[in-house]
Amino acid sequence: MATQDSQSILFTNTQPQQGFRLLELTPELEELLSSKDAPTLELKSPSAALARAVVDPSALEYVNLCTPTQTYRIRQVQSSNSLHILRPSLGQISQADIKVVEAEAGESGALKLPDEAVTAIAKCGSTLELHVPPTGFSAVPFLEKSLRLYDRRSGDDDGDIAMDEVSNETGGMDPIETRKLRDRVCADIPVSSAQCESGWTDLCAFVDVKQGVSWRPSAQMRLKVWKRLMEGAILQGIDLEKQFLVADLWRSVLDDDDASEPPFPRALLEAVARRLCVADERPLLAHEIKWASFDRTECTQWVSEIYLAATAPTPSSAIGRSDFLRAWKDCLPESWRGDAALSKLQEGSYQSPDPTTICFVEPSQRQQVLKTSAAAPAAAAAAKAKTTRNWHELLKNQKRR
Amino acid sequence: MYHYEGMYYSRARIDLCENISVSAPSPCPQFNYTRAPQRPPPTAQKAPPAYPVRNPFPQLLQTPSGLALLELQGTINVPAFESEQNSHAEDPASAESASYETPIGKLMFPDYSVHNPDDTKWMKRAYLYVGRYQRMTGEVKKLPRPIAVLQKRAGAVGTEELEIVEIVRYKVFFKNRPEPVNNV
Repeated sequence: MATQDSQSILFTNTQPQQGFRLLELTPELEELLSSKDAPTLELKSPSAALARAVVDPSALEYVNLCTPTQTYRIRQVQSSNSLHILRPSLGQISQADIKVVEAEAGESGALKLPDEAVTAIAKCGSTLELHVPPTGFSAVPFLEKSLRLYDRRSGDDDGDIAMDEVSNETGGMDPIETRKLRDRVCADIPVSSAQCESGWTDLCAFVDVKQGVSWRPSAQMRLKVWKRLMEGAILQGIDLEKQFLVADLWRSVLDDDDASEPPFPRALLEAVARRLCVADERPLLAHEIKWASFDRTECTQWVSEIYLAATAPTPSSAIGRSDFLRAWKDCLPESWRGDAALSKLQEGSYQSPDPTTICFVEPSQRQQVLKTSAAAPAAAAAAKAKTTRNWHELLKNQKRR
Repeated sequence: MYHYEGMYYSRARIDLCENISVSAPSPCPQFNYTRAPQRPPPTAQKAPPAYPVRNPFPQLLQTPSGLALLELQGTINVPAFESEQNSHAEDPASAESASYETPIGKLMFPDYSVHNPDDTKWMKRAYLYVGRYQRMTGEVKKLPRPIAVLQKRAGAVGTEELEIVEIVRYKVFFKNRPEPVNNV
């Protein structure tokens, strides 16, 4: 027999066993981990309150694995096969039981034992797999729930919110404190820090260091900031499409007469500037936005969306299309007015309850629209598979191991 | 050497599982290392073997940490570790010395030759003897996706940290039932 001659390895089982987890890596993750300066990965799950506020239909409880830029949902996959983790034996083999493997002593009087041994130190009944849903991960729904809404009203009603310190050069924007407050918010958001950052920028969220509060401005507030900065830019001759100093823009926003009381915090203006800045010139959140130039197309689209969100947030409050187009044009600098057209709006960002009106569609609703259209064929296939009595078809879609 | 009175460690045997089911249960509640930074050892790929002993596996299965994966259909039953018999084992300091190995069988790669490690034909055949009279036939397979072996990092205070101890790319896989064999 061929097996007689080939080298055999004694196989043992170690007690007590150790605890291990097996995680299946995606190619990108493998590359990341094998690289020289492999980053620290994070396992994140939402805080209890956030998990209740932002319900994930696919799972009640979940843990996400986050690289600096990517997020993966961890799924535990059970298998009735057992996966043992082996390592070379340390040689503490119970001699009393050795006869299980080798019965009789050979001619030399010694047991014909293999010289070398491996031992099972752990058994895993499941592996962890990583998934990315087709819609991806976004921090926006979580940020919307965890940040306080900054509205014009909150500024008017509550005198404390008037940013009395904001007119200082520092503008109440201690970068270290800002970062600390932002990190505190992001710690509970189960997506990667890059995705948190992009969601943060999308919402024009900002930090008020003095109060220790992170805000997200309402659509009305963003519209107000936009109108104000556009007027200021026109008055001061700032070309928004060319590079300008954000500090100049801020000065243009302040009235000369009541410079002590700015219309909104400087951090908010900077958040809006960051949002509208040409994407590849946008600095990281950790860095100050000193210079900016606005992306005209992006800007035009953004203005239309916040105008719709501010004036016609629901189908019941839909406004006339021609009114909307006129108002949209009025919100744009003179040279941009020609850009305002319904065709320039992002697909799915609006709906028309009737042919003459228009209203806003929340980004979260948009995703659902896309999801249902994408899920329909899959659901049909699943329904078909369920009705069949053919085992092959029933099990075809399941993953085998 | 340690003594285990009245316990039959020799009864290691294979339980067959009739069906293989892969399910996706809701995420495990015990996997709650939330917000725990997880740091792969930066030198994992170049680290010297953690065990001073020679690694008897074919080159392909050897990893820097010495860990390898073996999958089989079924379960190897070994009597449960009874800590009351080894009262001092509860003392973590002596845990290492209290660990012991129960022989199960032998592992063989009949077509493997150390002289020709680049030829991968040997991967097609592997034997696992359980006891003396049962043999399983399997193979060495490249994993479709590499598997990271995670372990809790010892000594992490406050936060729980997991460590990627190893990234494994191959497994020894026994998908067939054991067959009776003569003593070898």
